[in-house]
Amino acid sequence: MMENNRLIHVENLKKSFDKLNVLNGITLDINKGEVVVILGPSGCGKSTFLRCLNLLETPEEGKIYIDDVEITSPETNIDEQRQKMMMVFQHFNLFPHLTILENLTIGPIKLKKVSKDEADKRAHELLKRVGLDDKSAAYPNQLSGGQKQRVAICRALAMEPEVILFDEPTSALDPEMVGEVLEVMKELAATGITMICVTHEMGFAREVASRVIFFDKGVVAEDGPPKKVFENPENERLKEFLSKLL
Amino acid sequence: MKKSFGLRIFVLAVSVITLSVFLCSCGKNVPASEVTGVDSLPGKVIGTQLGTVGDIYASDYIEQGSVIKQYNKGADAVMALKQGKVDCVIIDNEPAKKFVNLNSDISILDEEFTNEEYAICIAKNNDELLNDINSALAQLKADGTLADIISNYIGDDTGNTPYVSPEGISRNGTLIMATNAAFEPYEYVQDGVIVGIDADIAQAIADILGKELVIQDMEFDSIITAVHSGKADFGAAGMTVTEDRLKNINFSDSYTTAKQVILVRNGNAAGGGFISKEKFKANFVDDNRWQYITKGLFTTLRISFFAVIIGVILGFLIAIIRFTCDKNGKGKIINSICKFYITIIRGTPAMIQLLIIYYVVFASSNIDAVAVATIAFGLNSSAYLAEIVRAGISSIDNGQFEAGRSMGFSYVQTMRYFILPQAVRNVLPALGNEFIVLLKETSISGYIGIRDLTRGGDLIRSRTYDAFMPLIAVALIYLFMVIILEKCVGQLERRLKNDGK
Repeated sequence: MMENNRLIHVENLKKSFDKLNVLNGITLDINKGEVVVILGPSGCGKSTFLRCLNLLETPEEGKIYIDDVEITSPETNIDEQRQKMMMVFQHFNLFPHLTILENLTIGPIKLKKVSKDEADKRAHELLKRVGLDDKSAAYPNQLSGGQKQRVAICRALAMEPEVILFDEPTSALDPEMVGEVLEVMKELAATGITMICVTHEMGFAREVASRVIFFDKGVVAEDGPPKKVFENPENERLKEFLSKLL
Repeated sequence: MKKSFGLRIFVLAVSVITLSVFLCSCGKNVPASEVTGVDSLPGKVIGTQLGTVGDIYASDYIEQGSVIKQYNKGADAVMALKQGKVDCVIIDNEPAKKFVNLNSDISILDEEFTNEEYAICIAKNNDELLNDINSALAQLKADGTLADIISNYIGDDTGNTPYVSPEGISRNGTLIMATNAAFEPYEYVQDGVIVGIDADIAQAIADILGKELVIQDMEFDSIITAVHSGKADFGAAGMTVTEDRLKNINFSDSYTTAKQVILVRNGNAAGGGFISKEKFKANFVDDNRWQYITKGLFTTLRISFFAVIIGVILGFLIAIIRFTCDKNGKGKIINSICKFYITIIRGTPAMIQLLIIYYVVFASSNIDAVAVATIAFGLNSSAYLAEIVRAGISSIDNGQFEAGRSMGFSYVQTMRYFILPQAVRNVLPALGNEFIVLLKETSISGYIGIRDLTRGGDLIRSRTYDAFMPLIAVALIYLFMVIILEKCVGQLERRLKNDGK
């Protein structure tokens, strides 16, 4: 059962809000280097699943392992484990009182005890990669939505995580800015980092994802490579979902 | 242009205050009182000093239609008389003579109001001290020391027989005397030291008993409380034995007799205007009286500064606890305690809190009054600050918490690095407001005997019987401090508002 390549192992994950069951027992493994896109109709629990991985939501039942460490166990230091997976939010959630550079360096400096010089150097490198190094002294509110999301991705990368969780990263953007963010994500996927994305961008799922998971009513309804999921869907709900998108 | 803004406000404020005082007071010609004797007191407005014998006896006239206006200081009552706010003032004969000497427009009626005996008050259970003081008084009467002390202050031969402690006394322990040093010649402040008949008698008693005398200045109506609660060993402040006082306190044998007299306006013109070189000299230069202001200012700043620190620390702590409990729905008990604390602090006047903390909470400990005031104002401010900061934290988007937590910052770190800086920035004007309120609130420190800025002005007032200059000087200093504080907060606001909005 142990696979060397396995990064995340989720076992029978359940979560409900009040009386509404959102996750009804999710079991899946995610391997290192996979780019996973999670699809599903709204309310299917895909965002909740992502937030459970980072324990922003506390699951009621089930276990989550990262690198074979059970993060759902009360003995685990969650803050330490969270540093392995960075979250990119729909609404960016940059820190408005810090400059772009400080947004990128505060995590490494305070949590990883990296020296300020080294953190600054690494931050500038990351900003250069997304073409925003000239904005390093600016504040988040001086940036466009697309620029903010690119900075948010850099902030996640600055922590050198093992996996990045994207929670609908382009949903709050104006249409003309979606492209620049997807472009960055695409480049990121090529570097081999593990990514889990909740998104409605079908083009991205088809082109970039190595694996597509379809959620329905809080369970995994279909799971496979994009070619199979998009061209040969077995699940009825998935067929319906895809037909609505076309 | 920005730099002169504060200055312009300052000049404007000075002009407004000066002008209004002149307009209100100068144009009015106050006629002579209609009070001619004890028989004409019914139906009149009588001014008294709160808690004095004159005050107690004057209250008998309420049934006969008189209105009693009680002032904290004799000088305030006299000021009210001069301005026509009261028809007469009932006050002790000796201070009354001083008032008449300084004010040509008031006189003492020939008919005495009462004739009374002064005594020292001691706590009920302290019979040992009572006996000691009585035997000391008997000794002082027998050897003529008492007569010398009194004639050094009263009569035609003043200043010739000052009391000097005998040399070579071994002193063992302290004797704390509570008084109200605004009752010349019995007790008043000269060159920053409390002097007068009572002070000298107390010193003579302390010399006989072999104790170190410590004099604490407070409001007259606080003296009995102070002795009763053990804050002071005895009270000496020209106090007469009355039935009501005997319920709470014991009195020594009488050491002198004093008359209560009636002060009235005689219709003469008041000497001098509000501002003159002589008045300035009397208020600030003579006896180095300006030092009451500077020392008071320093005390006010000291209390305010440390109270702000206590308030900020406690306020932030309560705000974070309240917010966290509300957010997670946990810690109901500690949340309730915090809510209760805020309700109690906000629901009672700061002055009552100050008095309770001094006379009840720290009743039996010998803690410095300035420290008590600092704690009291710090606690008071913390409740208001807690709610301001909580509002600030609540205004921050939950996404900021999630961003911080998801990166691996702990709850406390997230608060410290991301939430509080933004929260403080959002509520900075309200915080500045609270600091200004706190600074001015410390003006009630005088109630527990602290010589703060306000009390410094009061001390000058009680010696010069001039309201205008000391009050305006004190007002201007507060105004000036607040303007500086406003500037600092404004500067901080600009510095923190650098998020490019």
